[in-house]
Amino acid sequence: MTTTTTLKLNLGPQHPSTHGVLRLLLELDGEKILSCEPDIGYLHRGMEKMAEKMSYIRYLPTVDRIDYLAGFFYSELLCRIVEKALEVELPQKVRAIRVMLLELNRISSHLLWIGAFLMDLGATSPFFYAFREREMILRYFEKLTGQRMMYNYFVFGGVRRDIDYLEDVDEILSILLSKLKDYENLIEKNPIFIRRVVNKGVLEKETALNYSITGVNLRSSGADFDTRFQDSLYSGFDIGKVILKEKDSMARYRARILEIKESMKIVRQALDYLKKSPALEQKLINPVNMKLPEGDYFADIEAPRGIASCFVRSYGEKEPYRLKWRTGSYYSVNLLRKLLVGEYLNDAIAIAGSLDIILPEVDK
Amino acid sequence: MDWNKFSKVFANCEINGNKILIKSGLHDVIRFIVDNYSYDVLKEIIAVHNQDDKIELIYHLYSSVDEEDLLISIFTDNEIESIIDIFKSAEADEKEIFDLFGIKFSGHDNLKRLYMPENWEGHPLRKDYVQDDTRLSRNDNNDNA
Repeated sequence: MTTTTTLKLNLGPQHPSTHGVLRLLLELDGEKILSCEPDIGYLHRGMEKMAEKMSYIRYLPTVDRIDYLAGFFYSELLCRIVEKALEVELPQKVRAIRVMLLELNRISSHLLWIGAFLMDLGATSPFFYAFREREMILRYFEKLTGQRMMYNYFVFGGVRRDIDYLEDVDEILSILLSKLKDYENLIEKNPIFIRRVVNKGVLEKETALNYSITGVNLRSSGADFDTRFQDSLYSGFDIGKVILKEKDSMARYRARILEIKESMKIVRQALDYLKKSPALEQKLINPVNMKLPEGDYFADIEAPRGIASCFVRSYGEKEPYRLKWRTGSYYSVNLLRKLLVGEYLNDAIAIAGSLDIILPEVDK
Repeated sequence: MDWNKFSKVFANCEINGNKILIKSGLHDVIRFIVDNYSYDVLKEIIAVHNQDDKIELIYHLYSSVDEEDLLISIFTDNEIESIIDIFKSAEADEKEIFDLFGIKFSGHDNLKRLYMPENWEGHPLRKDYVQDDTRLSRNDNNDNA
C-alpha cells in the first residue's frame, strides 16, 4: 500500500533571492504550492519601541534605516509629522528640493528592483546595468548629503544645507533616458523573460484592495490610486499617471519602468525651478527641548513600495507617547499567503520578487 | 462627508472630526460601514496602550473612490473580535498587535509571535512592560551565554 503526503519546504531565510531574510514555509504537492506561510521578524529592530525613549531629533537619523533603499521617504514622514504639529509652512524652495530628492530616490529604488527581479529570474547581466545607473544617483546623494543610503538630510522645517551640484542631476537624467531604451531592448523582448512573467501572479484589483496593497503593485492591477495627487508637497508639480490593466508580473515590471520615466519628468520640473531660484532661506525648528502639542498626528506619503505612513500620539512631552509606522511591503508579504497558492514552485520566487518586498521595511 | 449621520446608526458613539469612538460591536460597525459606504481599504490598525491602562485600537479605513479617511476607535482590555472576514489585510495587523500588545483576536486562528522569539515573555509596546536585559542570554541554550 502506498500513501501520499505533502512536502513541507522552507524557502529561506538565507536564500539569496529573498531580498533579505524572509522565510516562506511552503506546503507542496509535487511542484504545486498548496499553502504558503511567511515567517518574518529576522530583522526586527524595535523602531517603534525605540521612538518612545528618544526625543524627535535623536530619532530622526534612525528612520532612514526603516527602508534603506528609500530613506528620504521616511525622514520626510517624520519631518512632516513635526511640521504639521507645530504648524510650520515650508518655503517653495524646500518643497522643490524635497520633491526632487524623493523622486530621485524612487528612481534608484526602482532601478535596484529591476536588477534584483531579473536576477531572481536567472538573468545576471541586467543586475549590473541597473546598479551602474543607480550608482550615479547614489554618488549624487553622497556628494550632497555625505551618505550614500542613510541621508539624514531632511530636518524639521527644511533641509540640512542648500542644494548643490545640480549639473550632476542634469547628467543623470540624460544618461538614464538612453539607458532605459537599452533595458527595453535587452529585457522586454526576451522570450524566457516573457514566459516567466506574463500571466504569472495575477492580482485582481479587489483582492489587492482587500489585502491593503498600495503603490505600484495596485496601480498595475488597474486601480487609479496615487496619494501624490492629494499631497500638498507635490502641489504645483505635473505628475503623470501610470495605470496598467494586465495585473500580472509583467504589468508590475512595465509599471516600474514607466514610473521611472514619470519620476524623471518630476525631477526635471523641480530641477528647472531650483536652477533659477535664489539661495535657500529657511526657518528651521529648534529641535532642542522641542515638544509636540497634545494630540494624534498622521502623515502619509507615496513611497516606492506603497503608502508609507506615520502615526504619532503626543502628550506634550519631548518624546512621542506612541509612534507607529505603516509600510507597504508588510502587506505585500501577507499577500503571498494567497498569491502563491496554486502556482508552481519555480514561479514562487518570480512572483514574490515582482511585489518588491524589502525586509527591513517589513520588520521595522 | 457628514459624519454625524453615524451617530444615528450606532448607539453610544462619539464623533470627533473623522474619528468615531465606539463602545462595542466592532465587527458589526465595520461590516455596516463597508457595506453601505465606499470604504474599501483598511490602511492599518493602530494600537495604543493608554495611560488609563486600556488598549485603544484605531481602525484606519480609507475610501479609494472618495479619497477619504475614517478612523474607528475602540477600547479593549485583552480580547476583541477579529475582522479578517471583512479585510484580509487585518490578518497581518492583528498578528502584530498580538505580538506587541498581547491583545487576543477571537476568530483569528493563526495568532503567534511575529517579531519576538517564540519563548519571549511580555509584550514590548505595553507601557507596563519591564525591560530585562538578561533575558536574551538566559533563554539562550548556548554554552557561551
